[in-house]
Amino acid sequence: MKLKNLLWVVVSLVFVFVSSSAFAAGVIKIGVQAPITGSFANEGQGIDNAVKMLVAQQNAKGGLLGKKLEVVTCDDEGTAIGGAICARKLVNDGVVAVIGTYSSTPAESAEPIYARAGVLQTSDATADSLTKRGYWTFFRNSCPNSAEATFTADFLVKDKHFKRIVVLSDYSSYATNLADATIAALKKIGGNVIYYGKIQASSQNFTPILTKIKSMNPDVIYFSGYYTDGGLIRAQEVSLGMKAAFVGGDSNDNPEFFKLAGKASNGVYMINVPRPDILPYPLAKDFLRDYQARYHMMPPSIWTLFNADGLRAIMYAIEKTKTTDTKKLAAFLHNLKDFPGITGPITFTKDGERAGSRFMAYEIYNNNQYKVVYKED
Amino acid sequence: MEIFLQQIVNGLAIGSIYALVAIGYTMVYGVMKLINFAHGDLVALAAYVGLTVLMQAFGMHITNLWAIILMFVITALFISLFGVVLERLAYRPLRKAPRLSAVVSALGASLAIENGIMLIWGPNIKVFPSNVFPNMRWHISGVVINSTQIAILLLSVILMLALYIFINKTKIGTAIRATAIDQDAAKLMGINVNGIIIAIFALGSFLGSIGGLFIGIYYRELYFQMGWIYGLNAFIAAIIGGIGNIPGAMLGGMLLGIFNVLIAGYVSNGWSEALTFVLLIIILIIKPTGILGERVAEKV
Amino acid sequence: MKKNFVWYGVFFVIAIIYPHFVNPSWVDIGTTFALYSVVALSQDIVLGKAGMFDMGHATFFGIGAYTAAILNTTYNIPIMYTIPIAIALSALFGIIISWPIIHLRGDYLLVATIGFNIIFYQALQNNVFGLTGGPNGIFGIGTPVIFGINIASQKAIYYFAWFILLITMLIIYNIDKSKLGRAFHYLRESEVAAESFGVNKRFYKVLAFALGAGLASLAGVIFAVQYAAVSPETFNFTQSVLFFTIVIVGGPSSIPGILLGTFVMFVVPQFFREFATARYFVFGIAMILTMILRPQGIWPVRFGKLPKYIFKES
Repeated sequence: MKLKNLLWVVVSLVFVFVSSSAFAAGVIKIGVQAPITGSFANEGQGIDNAVKMLVAQQNAKGGLLGKKLEVVTCDDEGTAIGGAICARKLVNDGVVAVIGTYSSTPAESAEPIYARAGVLQTSDATADSLTKRGYWTFFRNSCPNSAEATFTADFLVKDKHFKRIVVLSDYSSYATNLADATIAALKKIGGNVIYYGKIQASSQNFTPILTKIKSMNPDVIYFSGYYTDGGLIRAQEVSLGMKAAFVGGDSNDNPEFFKLAGKASNGVYMINVPRPDILPYPLAKDFLRDYQARYHMMPPSIWTLFNADGLRAIMYAIEKTKTTDTKKLAAFLHNLKDFPGITGPITFTKDGERAGSRFMAYEIYNNNQYKVVYKED
Repeated sequence: MEIFLQQIVNGLAIGSIYALVAIGYTMVYGVMKLINFAHGDLVALAAYVGLTVLMQAFGMHITNLWAIILMFVITALFISLFGVVLERLAYRPLRKAPRLSAVVSALGASLAIENGIMLIWGPNIKVFPSNVFPNMRWHISGVVINSTQIAILLLSVILMLALYIFINKTKIGTAIRATAIDQDAAKLMGINVNGIIIAIFALGSFLGSIGGLFIGIYYRELYFQMGWIYGLNAFIAAIIGGIGNIPGAMLGGMLLGIFNVLIAGYVSNGWSEALTFVLLIIILIIKPTGILGERVAEKV
Repeated sequence: MKKNFVWYGVFFVIAIIYPHFVNPSWVDIGTTFALYSVVALSQDIVLGKAGMFDMGHATFFGIGAYTAAILNTTYNIPIMYTIPIAIALSALFGIIISWPIIHLRGDYLLVATIGFNIIFYQALQNNVFGLTGGPNGIFGIGTPVIFGINIASQKAIYYFAWFILLITMLIIYNIDKSKLGRAFHYLRESEVAAESFGVNKRFYKVLAFALGAGLASLAGVIFAVQYAAVSPETFNFTQSVLFFTIVIVGGPSSIPGILLGTFVMFVVPQFFREFATARYFVFGIAMILTMILRPQGIWPVRFGKLPKYIFKES
């Protein structure tokens, strides 16, 4: 038995020594770091699917610079460890750029590894610190919370004149940051926040906290978390007989929200970047249509689209600079302005932050139809 | 005051679900001293299966009473069978093995079922239609009660009563209680212990599957990791009520449901799991046999 | 016994040359393997040797990591000085946590340890005292400096982690041979008989927890250094289940068993990162099969009853 164990160990070690194979030149490798398994599996798989689809479409057009594109995926399981392991692995696999990851923690743990190796990284993660450390390889493809927060505050106070605002968030860094930024923006323009609470994501049972909120007589509940909870919050709010309006941050905007909220969806306000189907860009409609055709389901959320835009920006950069030298690509991207994206025009600042995002507020009618009720410009 | 009453109403509904799931844990533990970590995932599986049966088989007619009844029956049968198969494959080979090995097997089963759900139904959330039980709301002195809550409460109480009668007044029920006290003595009395174990897994899974369907109907949102949380909470409920003690599991479930909502409503949502465990630890220190006393034999 | 030392020697020689032959992501895996082995060995003191059902051990791992993180980033204390503080703090928590629950019967103890783990996790998530950084965790943790040498490179951290593993193995080996080890062993086999021998049940059980906690937290500090970051989900209940499973699958109270257990439960899944979605499904099935085929663990300890040195060398 002992010998068999030793044999096991030796075989695995050989496997390990041999497993770092360098591929021949002639392909451009695009890495995907995403939570394929674990609690964010749906988002991770969405990112992976989107990247693979875009790469296949690009290859059908002949690839880039005469070479085919190849996707290398690494499952970071949504953890810091996974992030670091994937980063080292993808760097070693010789990728030019990495799309991902979905959440802040593994994106942060991977970031310095990519930066040291000169591999580009684009992620939808929203932690502010990602663009504050001077890593030239990082490009945030989602819209920063501060922009959405200011818009939301304007909408709630200047447009709708809500007087008793309740802010709800969950415990994720994204939702907490968005809620904090929104509250700060509200305070600046004199908004009255009567309560700020947090719910446990996926706990499904929100009637306790809603019951408590009901007694405070709010006229609006602003929820900065995800549609999986937002839809239920709205449904339960209505079933408790509450009259407060519901305003959802951009992660609420998802077809599943309407399934969860049912009839209660009517009258809900959503804040989001311009919806693909009301933009004049055919690419957005095309993307959704192609995704549906290829995978028989819609992308899990807007975050998939943000990451898809990150890849598109990078492919555009490669095409225009005619090189895969990441220093040149980064320089190009830092100067990118108003590149047409699925989620709106893409502009990067010199810190790798996404700028120029435009938000809109929509009201829902007919259970899942949108009508624009507020925008700034 | 009306807030408090409202919270109680909320708590009773979730408490009934916990109770149904807790019974499965407590029965298995009482007889086999095994924490069936995979039980919660069976409950989740029931919700998914129920949704699929409902949508695939009945598409247009989901509010038809027969459709709903059939959904319950088919799901319950399937999950009961699944529970029995699970026992046969993952637990029976380990009856003579160290106890913790069976625990690891249970953990493996839990992992497999959870990821199996993800592979079959995909990682995105699934939504139950909202009109499976008719939706009516009543306002009674400021407290809102909806018909789904009433339905769940009533059905759960009926089931638990039926179970109580079964365990205490029938021959099989007595055999189950006997096996829980001492397996070897039961064998000497001519009880087919293997058969009894199959029975309790089937029964526990049956009740758990009803709980799972209630979760689907009441909360309507299914995600593949949901088994864990319900499982853990149900197990705590079983301990609070007294492990191995079926009325204890029912009481524990109700109490835990109410406790959960009170904490979430009055203290804070972010500490509710932690405080639930604090409650558990306090009870374990003060009265480790649970509120109604445990029904497991202790050998010196 | 001499034969054993030869095997361990070979093992460590392979470990020493390993980072020079593999690519960097595997070096990371090797470092984490060493640290996870330390945690598993520390859990084994409680679970395998003293026979107490502990399924919340990631708590102590986390206390070590977060202590180092907080002291280093908020108070600028050098890593090397955080090590003794982390160990002491964790051992203290080990004593505090175990004291009220130590008399509980097996499965109740199990659930109570799970409870403490979840309480710890929620405390981290809720950014208690504003120190723990909430769900994002803490970033930018420094590196240890020994005699003026900064242990900052990937390989250096790797060797440091393996050094810790070596020390841990020596400690465990010495415990096994000592009065302490015997006391744990008797408690595990039969509490009643042990007490009649004069073994102070409470003292030794709490001591087992304290030792397990201290060692785990040492690994935690180096873990925080390796990833320069800590976050709550690394120390949650799922991680505790992992360590628990490593001990039972590998073989309780068996050092080679536990090393093999860590390899199987942590390193092997890394090979299959490309096979994405079905990975954990297969893994769950594998856990069931392993227990059915080897219920006593893959590499169980040889002599369960008497320490080896009692027998004549033959």
